[in-house]
Amino acid sequence: MALRIVCDIFFAIGLVFAFAGTKGILKMPDTFSRMQAQTCIATLGVLGVVIGGVLYAAIGMHSAGTAIKIAVIGLLILVTNPIGSHVLARGAYRGGIRPEKKMETDDLGRDFDD
Amino acid sequence: MQKTKLPAVLATFVVCYAFWILLTWTFTVQELAAGAIVSLAIALFSARFFVHEKAGWLANPVRFLACLGYWIGTFMKELISANLNMARICFGGCRDINPGIVKIPTDMQSDYGIAAVANSITLTPGTITMETTEEDGQNYLYVHWIDVKETDPEKAGEAIKGSLERGVRRFWK
Amino acid sequence: MTDMLIFSIFFAVLAAMNLYRLAKGPNAADRMVAGDAMDTLICCAMILFSLFSGRGVYLDIAVLTALFGIIDTIVVGRYLEGGKKK
Repeated sequence: MALRIVCDIFFAIGLVFAFAGTKGILKMPDTFSRMQAQTCIATLGVLGVVIGGVLYAAIGMHSAGTAIKIAVIGLLILVTNPIGSHVLARGAYRGGIRPEKKMETDDLGRDFDD
Repeated sequence: MQKTKLPAVLATFVVCYAFWILLTWTFTVQELAAGAIVSLAIALFSARFFVHEKAGWLANPVRFLACLGYWIGTFMKELISANLNMARICFGGCRDINPGIVKIPTDMQSDYGIAAVANSITLTPGTITMETTEEDGQNYLYVHWIDVKETDPEKAGEAIKGSLERGVRRFWK
Repeated sequence: MTDMLIFSIFFAVLAAMNLYRLAKGPNAADRMVAGDAMDTLICCAMILFSLFSGRGVYLDIAVLTALFGIIDTIVVGRYLEGGKKK
Protein backbone atom coordinates (compact mmCIF):
# COMPACT_ATOMS: atom_id res chain seq x y z
CA MET A 1 0.00 0.00 0.00
CA ALA A 2 2.84 2.38 0.81
CA LEU A 3 4.35 1.59 -2.59
CA ARG A 4 1.13 2.60 -4.33
CA ILE A 5 1.14 5.95 -2.53
CA VAL A 6 4.78 6.64 -3.51
CA CYS A 7 4.04 5.73 -7.14
CA ASP A 8 0.96 7.95 -7.14
CA ILE A 9 3.05 10.86 -5.87
CA PHE A 10 5.48 10.40 -8.77
CA PHE A 11 2.62 10.17 -11.28
CA ALA A 12 1.08 13.31 -9.85
CA ILE A 13 4.38 15.19 -10.21
CA GLY A 14 4.52 14.12 -13.84
CA LEU A 15 0.92 15.18 -14.37
CA VAL A 16 1.52 18.63 -12.88
CA PHE A 17 4.48 19.34 -15.16
CA ALA A 18 2.67 17.90 -18.20
CA PHE A 19 -0.23 20.20 -17.44
CA ALA A 20 2.14 23.17 -17.13
CA GLY A 21 3.63 22.33 -20.53
CA THR A 22 0.21 21.95 -22.14
CA LYS A 23 -0.95 25.26 -20.74
CA GLY A 24 2.23 26.85 -22.08
CA ILE A 25 1.66 25.41 -25.54
CA LEU A 26 -1.89 26.74 -25.58
CA LYS A 27 -1.20 30.20 -24.16
CA MET A 28 2.34 31.27 -25.13
CA PRO A 29 2.48 34.20 -27.58
CA ASP A 30 4.99 33.00 -30.20
CA THR A 31 6.38 29.85 -31.79
CA PHE A 32 9.75 29.58 -30.04
CA SER A 33 8.22 30.09 -26.60
CA ARG A 34 5.83 27.22 -27.34
CA MET A 35 8.84 25.03 -28.06
CA GLN A 36 10.25 25.93 -24.65
CA ALA A 37 7.01 24.86 -23.00
CA GLN A 38 7.08 21.57 -24.88
CA THR A 39 10.44 20.70 -23.31
CA CYS A 40 8.73 20.83 -19.93
CA ILE A 41 6.48 17.89 -20.90
CA ALA A 42 9.35 15.83 -22.27
CA THR A 43 11.59 16.14 -19.21
CA LEU A 44 9.94 16.09 -15.82
CA GLY A 45 6.53 14.98 -17.12
CA VAL A 46 7.99 11.83 -18.63
CA LEU A 47 10.50 11.38 -15.83
CA GLY A 48 7.79 11.34 -13.17
CA VAL A 49 5.76 8.71 -15.00
CA VAL A 50 8.83 6.61 -15.75
CA ILE A 51 10.21 6.63 -12.20
CA GLY A 52 6.82 5.76 -10.75
CA GLY A 53 6.25 3.06 -13.36
CA VAL A 54 9.67 1.48 -12.81
CA LEU A 55 9.13 1.39 -9.05
CA TYR A 56 5.70 -0.16 -9.42
CA ALA A 57 6.74 -2.73 -12.05
CA ALA A 58 9.89 -3.79 -10.22
CA ILE A 59 8.56 -4.00 -6.66
CA GLY A 60 4.79 -4.32 -7.06
CA MET A 61 4.59 -6.59 -10.11
CA HIS A 62 7.98 -8.43 -9.76
CA SER A 63 8.48 -8.11 -13.50
CA ALA A 64 12.01 -7.09 -14.45
CA GLY A 65 11.26 -7.04 -18.19
CA THR A 66 8.47 -4.51 -17.83
CA ALA A 67 10.56 -2.27 -15.59
CA ILE A 68 13.51 -2.27 -17.98
CA LYS A 69 11.28 -1.60 -20.97
CA ILE A 70 9.73 1.41 -19.25
CA ALA A 71 13.18 2.71 -18.34
CA VAL A 72 14.31 2.32 -21.96
CA ILE A 73 11.28 4.29 -23.18
CA GLY A 74 12.11 7.12 -20.77
CA LEU A 75 15.76 7.12 -21.81
CA LEU A 76 14.76 7.14 -25.48
CA ILE A 77 12.53 10.18 -25.08
CA LEU A 78 15.11 12.03 -22.96
CA VAL A 79 17.92 11.39 -25.46
CA THR A 80 16.02 12.12 -28.66
CA ASN A 81 13.87 15.08 -27.61
CA PRO A 82 16.60 17.78 -27.68
CA ILE A 83 17.60 16.74 -31.20
CA GLY A 84 14.09 17.15 -32.54
CA SER A 85 13.60 20.39 -30.66
CA HIS A 86 16.85 21.84 -32.03
CA VAL A 87 16.12 20.80 -35.62
CA LEU A 88 12.60 22.21 -35.46
CA ALA A 89 13.74 25.54 -33.97
CA ARG A 90 16.48 25.98 -36.56
CA GLY A 91 14.18 25.00 -39.41
CA ALA A 92 11.47 27.39 -38.24
CA TYR A 93 13.95 30.27 -37.95
CA ARG A 94 15.54 29.62 -41.34
CA GLY A 95 12.13 29.18 -42.95
CA GLY A 96 11.32 32.77 -42.11
CA ILE A 97 9.11 32.37 -39.01
CA ARG A 98 9.59 35.31 -36.62
CA PRO A 99 7.65 36.23 -33.45
CA GLU A 100 5.19 39.08 -33.89
CA LYS A 101 6.59 41.07 -31.00
CA LYS A 102 10.18 42.26 -31.47
CA MET A 103 12.66 40.10 -29.59
CA GLU A 104 14.91 41.52 -26.90
CA THR A 105 18.11 40.67 -28.78
CA ASP A 106 18.42 38.78 -32.04
CA ASP A 107 22.06 37.84 -32.59
CA LEU A 108 21.21 35.13 -35.13
CA GLY A 109 19.34 37.55 -37.37
CA ARG A 110 22.18 40.04 -36.99
CA ASP A 111 24.95 37.63 -37.95
CA PHE A 112 23.25 35.63 -40.71
CA ASP A 113 21.61 38.50 -42.51
CA ASP A 114 19.63 37.45 -45.54
CA MET B 1 32.60 10.81 -46.07
CA GLN B 2 35.18 8.98 -44.05
CA LYS B 3 36.15 5.33 -44.13
CA THR B 4 34.69 2.71 -41.84
CA LYS B 5 36.99 1.91 -38.91
CA LEU B 6 36.92 -1.19 -36.69
CA PRO B 7 36.52 0.54 -33.27
CA ALA B 8 33.65 2.59 -34.65
CA VAL B 9 31.89 -0.55 -35.89
CA LEU B 10 32.47 -2.24 -32.54
CA ALA B 11 31.05 0.69 -30.56
CA THR B 12 27.95 0.94 -32.78
CA PHE B 13 27.45 -2.82 -32.57
CA VAL B 14 27.59 -2.78 -28.76
CA VAL B 15 25.04 0.05 -28.55
CA CYS B 16 22.65 -1.60 -31.05
CA TYR B 17 22.90 -5.02 -29.38
CA ALA B 18 22.36 -3.61 -25.90
CA PHE B 19 19.28 -1.80 -27.18
CA TRP B 20 17.95 -5.02 -28.75
CA ILE B 21 18.43 -7.01 -25.55
CA LEU B 22 16.82 -4.33 -23.41
CA LEU B 23 13.80 -4.13 -25.70
CA THR B 24 13.14 -7.83 -26.17
CA TRP B 25 14.33 -9.18 -22.78
CA THR B 26 14.12 -12.83 -23.82
CA PHE B 27 17.23 -14.99 -23.65
CA THR B 28 16.62 -17.78 -26.15
CA VAL B 29 19.46 -18.57 -28.55
CA GLN B 30 17.48 -17.73 -31.67
CA GLU B 31 16.57 -14.22 -30.55
CA LEU B 32 20.12 -13.46 -29.44
CA ALA B 33 21.57 -14.70 -32.75
CA ALA B 34 19.06 -12.74 -34.84
CA GLY B 35 19.80 -9.60 -32.83
CA ALA B 36 23.55 -10.07 -33.30
CA ILE B 37 23.21 -10.45 -37.07
CA VAL B 38 20.95 -7.41 -37.47
CA SER B 39 23.14 -5.28 -35.18
CA LEU B 40 26.27 -6.23 -37.10
CA ALA B 41 24.67 -5.33 -40.43
CA ILE B 42 23.50 -1.97 -39.09
CA ALA B 43 26.92 -1.27 -37.55
CA LEU B 44 28.77 -2.05 -40.80
CA PHE B 45 26.44 0.19 -42.73
CA SER B 46 26.11 3.19 -40.47
CA ALA B 47 29.20 3.40 -38.22
CA ARG B 48 30.82 5.97 -40.49
CA PHE B 49 27.90 8.35 -39.95
CA PHE B 50 27.81 8.01 -36.17
CA VAL B 51 31.40 7.95 -34.97
CA HIS B 52 33.69 10.76 -36.08
CA GLU B 53 36.32 10.72 -33.35
CA LYS B 54 37.78 8.22 -30.91
CA ALA B 55 35.17 5.51 -30.37
CA GLY B 56 36.45 4.14 -27.05
CA TRP B 57 36.71 7.47 -25.25
CA LEU B 58 34.05 6.65 -22.66
CA ALA B 59 35.22 3.05 -22.12
CA ASN B 60 37.65 4.37 -19.50
CA PRO B 61 35.91 3.73 -16.13
CA VAL B 62 37.00 7.05 -14.62
CA ARG B 63 35.48 9.01 -17.49
CA PHE B 64 32.38 6.81 -17.51
CA LEU B 65 31.75 7.39 -13.79
CA ALA B 66 32.30 11.12 -14.27
CA CYS B 67 29.76 11.06 -17.12
CA LEU B 68 27.22 9.16 -15.01
CA GLY B 69 27.75 11.49 -12.07
CA TYR B 70 27.22 14.48 -14.32
CA TRP B 71 23.90 13.22 -15.70
CA ILE B 72 22.55 12.13 -12.32
CA GLY B 73 23.90 14.94 -10.15
CA THR B 74 24.65 18.28 -11.79
CA PHE B 75 22.32 17.99 -14.74
CA MET B 76 19.34 16.79 -12.71
CA LYS B 77 19.71 19.72 -10.31
CA GLU B 78 19.71 22.21 -13.18
CA LEU B 79 16.83 20.38 -14.85
CA ILE B 80 14.56 20.46 -11.80
CA SER B 81 15.22 24.12 -11.01
CA ALA B 82 14.63 25.13 -14.65
CA ASN B 83 11.44 23.05 -14.75
CA LEU B 84 10.09 24.74 -11.63
CA ASN B 85 10.88 28.13 -13.16
CA MET B 86 9.10 27.21 -16.39
CA ALA B 87 6.05 25.86 -14.53
CA ARG B 88 5.87 29.11 -12.59
CA ILE B 89 5.86 31.09 -15.83
CA CYS B 90 3.18 28.86 -17.38
CA PHE B 91 0.84 28.87 -14.39
CA GLY B 92 1.37 32.61 -14.00
CA GLY B 93 -0.35 33.27 -17.30
CA CYS B 94 2.66 33.34 -19.66
CA ARG B 95 2.91 37.11 -19.34
CA ASP B 96 6.30 37.99 -17.81
CA ILE B 97 8.49 36.57 -20.58
CA ASN B 98 11.18 38.37 -22.50
CA PRO B 99 12.38 36.13 -25.36
CA GLY B 100 15.52 36.70 -27.39
CA ILE B 101 18.42 34.97 -29.12
CA VAL B 102 21.88 35.42 -27.58
CA LYS B 103 25.28 34.32 -28.86
CA ILE B 104 27.49 32.70 -26.22
CA PRO B 105 31.06 31.43 -26.49
CA THR B 106 31.90 27.88 -25.39
CA ASP B 107 35.24 26.38 -24.38
CA MET B 108 34.59 22.98 -25.93
CA GLN B 109 36.76 21.88 -28.87
CA SER B 110 35.62 18.39 -29.87
CA ASP B 111 32.37 17.59 -31.65
CA TYR B 112 31.12 15.42 -28.81
CA GLY B 113 31.79 18.11 -26.22
CA ILE B 114 29.85 20.69 -28.22
CA ALA B 115 27.03 18.21 -28.78
CA ALA B 116 26.85 17.35 -25.07
CA VAL B 117 26.73 20.99 -24.00
CA ALA B 118 24.23 21.95 -26.71
CA ASN B 119 21.90 19.07 -25.90
CA SER B 120 22.12 19.78 -22.17
CA ILE B 121 21.16 23.39 -22.87
CA THR B 122 18.26 22.31 -25.07
CA LEU B 123 16.96 19.79 -22.56
CA THR B 124 16.65 22.35 -19.76
CA PRO B 125 13.33 24.17 -20.30
CA GLY B 126 13.82 27.84 -21.09
CA THR B 127 16.77 27.58 -23.45
CA ILE B 128 17.07 26.03 -26.94
CA THR B 129 20.30 25.83 -28.93
CA MET B 130 19.58 26.94 -32.48
CA GLU B 131 22.93 27.04 -34.27
CA THR B 132 26.63 26.42 -33.68
CA THR B 133 29.40 28.25 -35.49
CA GLU B 134 33.15 28.65 -35.33
CA GLU B 135 35.12 31.88 -35.63
CA ASP B 136 38.92 31.97 -35.28
CA GLY B 137 39.11 28.70 -33.38
CA GLN B 138 36.46 29.74 -30.84
CA ASN B 139 33.12 27.93 -30.93
CA TYR B 140 29.89 29.85 -30.44
CA LEU B 141 26.34 28.74 -29.72
CA TYR B 142 23.20 30.68 -30.61
CA VAL B 143 20.67 30.12 -27.84
CA HIS B 144 17.02 31.10 -27.74
CA TRP B 145 16.39 32.21 -24.17
CA ILE B 146 12.86 32.76 -22.92
CA ASP B 147 13.80 35.29 -20.25
CA VAL B 148 16.78 37.38 -21.34
CA LYS B 149 18.55 38.89 -18.35
CA GLU B 150 21.98 39.60 -19.82
CA THR B 151 22.94 40.58 -23.35
CA ASP B 152 26.71 40.53 -22.80
CA PRO B 153 28.00 37.20 -24.24
CA GLU B 154 30.25 36.20 -21.31
CA LYS B 155 27.70 36.93 -18.59
CA ALA B 156 24.87 35.32 -20.56
CA GLY B 157 27.02 32.23 -21.11
CA GLU B 158 27.75 31.99 -17.40
CA ALA B 159 24.05 32.30 -16.57
CA ILE B 160 22.93 29.74 -19.17
CA LYS B 161 25.58 27.02 -19.10
CA GLY B 162 28.08 27.76 -16.31
CA SER B 163 27.72 24.62 -14.21
CA LEU B 164 26.74 22.41 -17.17
CA GLU B 165 29.93 23.19 -19.07
CA ARG B 166 32.10 22.75 -15.99
CA GLY B 167 30.50 19.30 -15.53
CA VAL B 168 31.01 18.24 -19.15
CA ARG B 169 34.65 19.40 -19.19
CA ARG B 170 35.49 16.70 -16.66
CA PHE B 171 35.07 13.95 -19.28
CA TRP B 172 35.09 15.60 -22.72
CA LYS B 173 37.33 18.31 -24.07
CA MET C 1 -5.01 -0.38 -9.80
CA THR C 2 -7.75 2.10 -10.59
CA ASP C 3 -5.53 5.09 -9.85
CA MET C 4 -3.36 4.26 -12.85
CA LEU C 5 -6.41 4.21 -15.11
CA ILE C 6 -7.38 7.64 -13.78
CA PHE C 7 -3.91 9.06 -14.39
CA SER C 8 -3.91 7.51 -17.85
CA ILE C 9 -7.20 9.22 -18.67
CA PHE C 10 -5.78 12.53 -17.42
CA PHE C 11 -2.79 12.21 -19.75
CA ALA C 12 -5.06 11.37 -22.68
CA VAL C 13 -7.17 14.46 -21.90
CA LEU C 14 -4.00 16.60 -21.89
CA ALA C 15 -3.09 15.14 -25.28
CA ALA C 16 -6.55 16.02 -26.57
CA MET C 17 -6.13 19.60 -25.33
CA ASN C 18 -3.13 19.94 -27.65
CA LEU C 19 -5.49 19.34 -30.59
CA TYR C 20 -6.57 22.97 -30.29
CA ARG C 21 -3.07 24.21 -31.10
CA LEU C 22 -2.74 21.54 -33.78
CA ALA C 23 -5.87 22.81 -35.52
CA LYS C 24 -5.38 26.55 -35.00
CA GLY C 25 -1.60 27.07 -35.00
CA PRO C 26 -0.65 29.92 -37.34
CA ASN C 27 2.17 28.03 -39.10
CA ALA C 28 3.60 24.56 -39.62
CA ALA C 29 6.13 24.75 -36.78
CA ASP C 30 3.35 25.38 -34.25
CA ARG C 31 1.45 22.35 -35.49
CA MET C 32 4.57 20.21 -35.24
CA VAL C 33 5.27 21.35 -31.68
CA ALA C 34 1.75 20.39 -30.67
CA GLY C 35 2.09 17.06 -32.47
CA ASP C 36 5.33 16.29 -30.67
CA ALA C 37 3.76 17.10 -27.32
CA MET C 38 0.78 14.86 -28.11
CA ASP C 39 3.17 12.09 -28.99
CA THR C 40 4.97 12.27 -25.66
CA LEU C 41 1.74 12.49 -23.69
CA ILE C 42 0.21 9.49 -25.48
CA CYS C 43 3.41 7.56 -24.74
CA CYS C 44 2.95 8.32 -21.02
CA ALA C 45 -0.71 7.29 -21.18
CA MET C 46 0.29 4.00 -22.83
CA ILE C 47 2.81 3.24 -20.07
CA LEU C 48 0.20 3.88 -17.39
CA PHE C 49 -2.46 1.86 -19.17
CA SER C 50 -0.03 -1.02 -19.57
CA LEU C 51 0.58 -1.00 -15.81
CA PHE C 52 -3.18 -0.93 -15.23
CA SER C 53 -4.05 -3.81 -17.52
CA GLY C 54 -0.87 -5.85 -16.97
CA ARG C 55 -0.31 -6.50 -20.68
CA GLY C 56 3.01 -5.92 -22.37
CA VAL C 57 1.58 -5.04 -25.78
CA TYR C 58 0.95 -1.42 -24.83
CA LEU C 59 4.61 -0.96 -23.95
CA ASP C 60 5.62 -1.97 -27.48
CA ILE C 61 3.16 0.58 -28.84
CA ALA C 62 4.71 3.19 -26.53
CA VAL C 63 8.20 2.40 -27.87
CA LEU C 64 7.00 2.79 -31.46
CA THR C 65 5.21 6.04 -30.63
CA ALA C 66 8.38 7.52 -29.15
CA LEU C 67 10.51 6.39 -32.11
CA PHE C 68 8.20 7.66 -34.84
CA GLY C 69 7.61 10.90 -32.94
CA ILE C 70 11.28 11.86 -33.18
CA ILE C 71 11.49 10.80 -36.82
CA ASP C 72 8.58 12.93 -38.01
CA THR C 73 9.78 15.93 -35.99
CA ILE C 74 13.17 15.77 -37.69
CA VAL C 75 11.62 15.31 -41.14
CA VAL C 76 9.34 18.33 -40.76
CA GLY C 77 12.21 20.41 -39.34
CA ARG C 78 14.46 19.67 -42.27
CA TYR C 79 11.60 20.38 -44.67
CA LEU C 80 10.93 23.79 -43.15
CA GLU C 81 14.62 24.66 -43.33
CA GLY C 82 14.61 24.60 -47.12
CA GLY C 83 11.67 26.98 -47.30
CA LYS C 84 13.65 30.15 -47.91
CA LYS C 85 16.87 30.13 -49.88
CA LYS C 86 19.64 32.58 -49.20
